[in-house]
Amino acid sequence: MINNSRSVQDLPEQSLILEVVIGFLYPFMLLLGFFIILNGHHSPGGGFQGGSVLAALFIARYIVFPVHDISNDIMHIFQRIFLAMILLTPMLLLFSGFIHRNPEFRSWYLLMMNILIGLQVGLELGVAVLRFAFFEGVGKTWHL
Amino acid sequence: MIVETVTLLTMMLFALLVIHSRMLRQAVIHLAVFSLLTAFLYLLLAAPELAIAEAAIGSGLVTLLYLASLKRNPVYTIAVLAEGHSYRMTNAYLGYMQHMRAMRDIRHFFRRREYEPQIVFSEKTLEEALQFPSFDLVIREEKEGISAHGSSQSYILEELEMMFIIHGTGSNINIVRHDVRMEGQ
Repeated sequence: MINNSRSVQDLPEQSLILEVVIGFLYPFMLLLGFFIILNGHHSPGGGFQGGSVLAALFIARYIVFPVHDISNDIMHIFQRIFLAMILLTPMLLLFSGFIHRNPEFRSWYLLMMNILIGLQVGLELGVAVLRFAFFEGVGKTWHL
Repeated sequence: MIVETVTLLTMMLFALLVIHSRMLRQAVIHLAVFSLLTAFLYLLLAAPELAIAEAAIGSGLVTLLYLASLKRNPVYTIAVLAEGHSYRMTNAYLGYMQHMRAMRDIRHFFRRREYEPQIVFSEKTLEEALQFPSFDLVIREEKEGISAHGSSQSYILEELEMMFIIHGTGSNINIVRHDVRMEGQ
């Protein structure tokens, strides 16, 4: 059959190179993302940077295995919950003067904020890119 | 100092490559390399936090987004048939076909519409080639000029025909549209 431009398939469905490389790098990327998040308060890194590494992980996983086992909507709801917690945590701990009165909890507070920001950014960027892939006509199978 | 200069110059080179490359996929990859060099430069300028963010977002997420949106901009395969004349498949013939006026016009047409034309040479007969899934346009050399065969459902072929009617070509080109049934239509 002659394909028109909309259904041209220039690449095979699953690229073996991508599959093997991403499968090998997956745990290391996960480790790197959490390393960047957890060491953000005393070395370069932090919530946003680690979160974007986690988002790249989500997307890499989706490229290799284009299955919707995690619903976008659930990710979106979790992202909103983390956003609310990011707003609530400083209100409860910082603005109430708790950290000021107990300075030994300061690094724990920063760590907690980093983790919250990291998870929120990871989920948010992941949802944004996956929704883009889904609605921009790429559809359920997305191979580069 | 010297490392920074070299990095900046390489960044300029890749920025120019991004602008001037004709294939969009190549441009995206060059953009990713540019982004990686930017991250390295941030590292040299003692801003490691920015470097991490730039490396993750600039060369990771943005490249993926661009590649995903380029999926809507697919490769268009043009098959040139040398049916029954396998002695024709010499380098001289391939070069002659690639530099023919009409072929240049066709390639230019697809480039301008931001398709990526890809020319393949095949020894299939016309019938086989029309049934072959990854050929979008089949070109055969006739006694008088060349003929282009494609699906009657392809709107690109219609536009190509319009372009030949409006602008005209130096060589005889004759567009034949076949009623090939598409899957799922």
